[in-house]
Amino acid sequence: MKQSFWVSLLGAVAVVAVARGGGDGEISFEYHRYEEMRKALVSVWLQCPTISRIYTIGESFEGRELLVLEMSDNPGTHEPGEPEFKYIANMHGNEAVGRELLVYLAQYLCNQYQQGNDTIIELIHSTRIHLMPSMNPDGFEKAASQVNPGEMKDWFVGRSNAQGVDLNRNFPDLDRIVYVNEQDGGANNHLLQNMKKAVDENSKLAPETKAVVHWIMDIPFVLSANLHGGDVVANYPYDETRTGSAHEYSASPDDVTFKSLARAYSMFNPVMSDPNRPACRKNDDDSSFKEGITNGGAWYSVPGGMQDFNYLSSNCFEITLELSCDKFPSEDTLKTYWDQNRNSLVNYIEQVHRGVKGFVRDLQGNPVSNATISVEGINHDITTAKDGDYWRLLAPGNYKVAATAPGYLTVIKKVAVPHSPATRVDFELESMIERKEEEREELMDWWKMMSQTLNF
Amino acid sequence: MAIKHVAFVVFIQLFALNVVIQTHAFPTPASAEDKTVYNRQLTEEKPLSDQIAEADSVKAAVLSAESKHPAASKDTAQDGDDFSDLKSLAEGQKSKMESKEGQDQTTPKSDQFVPDESDSTKSRRLAEDYDSTKNGMDDSKFQGDVPESFRQVDGTPLTAEDIVQKIANKIYEEDDRGVFDRIVSRLLKLGLITDSEADSLEYQVAEALQELITKNAQRNEVEETEESEDTRGEKEAQDEDANTNSPRRRFNDNDEEEGEEEGEEEGAREEERGAAEDDGDNNAGGDMAGDERWDRDAQNEVSPSDGLQDLQYFPNFYRLLRSLDAERDTQERETLITIMKTLIDFVKMMVKYGTITPEEGVSYLENLDAMIALQTKNKLGKSLGPADFMGKGFDEDDNTKAEAAKMQKEYENLKDSTKEEQPSTETSRPGKSETYLEAIRKNIEWLKKHDKDEGKDDYDLSKLKDFMDQQVDSYIEKGIISKDEGGTIKRIYSSL
Repeated sequence: MKQSFWVSLLGAVAVVAVARGGGDGEISFEYHRYEEMRKALVSVWLQCPTISRIYTIGESFEGRELLVLEMSDNPGTHEPGEPEFKYIANMHGNEAVGRELLVYLAQYLCNQYQQGNDTIIELIHSTRIHLMPSMNPDGFEKAASQVNPGEMKDWFVGRSNAQGVDLNRNFPDLDRIVYVNEQDGGANNHLLQNMKKAVDENSKLAPETKAVVHWIMDIPFVLSANLHGGDVVANYPYDETRTGSAHEYSASPDDVTFKSLARAYSMFNPVMSDPNRPACRKNDDDSSFKEGITNGGAWYSVPGGMQDFNYLSSNCFEITLELSCDKFPSEDTLKTYWDQNRNSLVNYIEQVHRGVKGFVRDLQGNPVSNATISVEGINHDITTAKDGDYWRLLAPGNYKVAATAPGYLTVIKKVAVPHSPATRVDFELESMIERKEEEREELMDWWKMMSQTLNF
Repeated sequence: MAIKHVAFVVFIQLFALNVVIQTHAFPTPASAEDKTVYNRQLTEEKPLSDQIAEADSVKAAVLSAESKHPAASKDTAQDGDDFSDLKSLAEGQKSKMESKEGQDQTTPKSDQFVPDESDSTKSRRLAEDYDSTKNGMDDSKFQGDVPESFRQVDGTPLTAEDIVQKIANKIYEEDDRGVFDRIVSRLLKLGLITDSEADSLEYQVAEALQELITKNAQRNEVEETEESEDTRGEKEAQDEDANTNSPRRRFNDNDEEEGEEEGEEEGAREEERGAAEDDGDNNAGGDMAGDERWDRDAQNEVSPSDGLQDLQYFPNFYRLLRSLDAERDTQERETLITIMKTLIDFVKMMVKYGTITPEEGVSYLENLDAMIALQTKNKLGKSLGPADFMGKGFDEDDNTKAEAAKMQKEYENLKDSTKEEQPSTETSRPGKSETYLEAIRKNIEWLKKHDKDEGKDDYDLSKLKDFMDQQVDSYIEKGIISKDEGGTIKRIYSSL
């Protein structure tokens, strides 16, 4: 043992002597190509194996793994009642800041956890956090490979995937469907029908898009953000305008909630929330930006985007974060971007613990999955997950929350929702059969009484 | 060197011719005697008679050995070519020269060490050419240097120690690290040893080799004074240097070459080894000389003036060594010294081959020593003394040596000392292994602290190891980490 101590001492010495710019626990602010990114994630996992896990949701067109680092107190499992959160970055390969921020965030969360940061510890214990630094690793490689001594990287090179597909226009367009339903009646959520036809056999979808769609369907995400570059603002649904015009405020049913969520990010980013911030480019129209946030459609119409897809196909609320005027700024600015965004990134994760949450069970205590949770006045329902657990993000206010399931009787409860934390509201649903049984018994009792009285 | 070699070859050939003439017939005691008498006139031939005697005894042992077909064909090829015999004999003589004393010393043990490829086998070959019963030996000589017979001449089974000694001798005499590989691969193939035994075997062989070198260096020194011919003395010194140099390098390379999977690193390793062989003997010789003296003085306080030319540039490391109790921690000291030296050597190769610049090497080494001081201070809570660099006055060779040592040490420490796993992974991607090592180290530190806070003991470490192994395998399967990365991680964990 002692020998190995000496050996490892020397080893550590040799190692540290050669280590590049690494003090203990410090993040190295540099760009990570694919291999380096992978290595960085593996290192985080090696450093914090009890609270992290790496998995892949599939491969890019050129075969790079779409890596996700998950952080939670029980990585790999969904604990009933624990909300799921995700950050996805770099779906446009040349928008590089988000990618790096997520790598730094992973390192930061791991370091802080081990250093006893209570906020982070609490966050990791109560949330399941998924970080995907790059949805478009192929595009990034293309963008990063540009040789520009002193010049800015091109605005478009590396944006799309290896097939030339803009991934943020590639998702099934569910906005169109919901707009119709708004007029004619119909479902207000979970609009992705026929997964097989719409996704798996849909040749128009890029492999990256397909992988993410499956990912969204598999895990009951509650809150999410999609990291981009090219401007500085927090963008919320809907992205696509109802009338098809280029700029039009397109409010979602959860407009109030979304504004609250978007502000929760922008307010900790000094650049984003600066009311006097000059526009990124001279002729930019940022009139829709207020307090660092903007409605998607009001800024410019985006059909087939991932943000709206999340909201309309699943229970997940997603916003889009634009984090830098330069899409691919120089490496020496990365630390600054980290400093600007670190608090926002952490605070936004904490937003998942807001609104109303709880379990829907039947009278025997069994979970009722896929029950509908609807809020009066908000035309967007969510559903319970496999364990009967649900999380309904809401801005502060008074609400009537109803739980419904086929074959069960609806239960409505009144709730006063603070800013945070989430208010626990559980539902016990009586199935209709049980009610019928009760009624039948009541009827029998009445008949008995009647017949006795009247001598039937 | 080359000229001397040629001259030597010629000289040997002349002699060999005599031997051939005399051994054309089946060796009779009389002719053997003649040879012996004849041999005694030339001191370098003296062992030849021993070899022949040996050969006879080996023949007896070999009669029970199995013969390998491919070797047999080689044997016949050999048979047909006297000149090649002579040439190889000459080469054998050369290495024989270097290991003369070693040969004498090891003769009793290596009697039964059939595959001895030094002069003993060469002379045997001549006899064997005309003796079909000796064929078995030849194949092992060429093919796999496995002792076909595992018995001593008198029939008692060889002990493990004997085998280790034999292998070490063979490597030493043949000046060829490949010997070990061949032997081990054959042993494995024959199912005589397991993989883990092969690992520990290497370690033991390395140790035996080191001892051998030490002893031989001593003897060679003594012999130098006895030699009347200057040229011979020079040659011996050089040969000794080269020879003693190579075993040490071989040991390094042995480690490095074990990684068969990494083809690219393998190639790099080969190059470096080639570079090493070509490298200037002086420094290596100086190293070795110092090394031997160091070993001898291991029990005493060692001062830099003892000839430890490399380590004197690492004052902090040196103090660290000194701080280790000489008696109790001998093995650790040895390990540390070996590690340091091999690192130095390695970096020298790297610079020689142009992989890194001398400046990088220098700074690497300077950093290393500084870090040793720092880390020792941190970990042991004491400082080694005033950090005292010998200044930037390194000459290039020393720099490169030190660099090599450092790199090698990195690798050494990334692997279990008893395993011969390849450091080649780390060679080509030193950054990755460092990062992983750092990450794992942080985790272990945190675990220890965490467990301490919660009052648990660290039996969790073994559970963690199992868990990590499992995870690593699953990650490799999913394509999240590569196989060699997984190997590195597992290795780091197993060395904890």
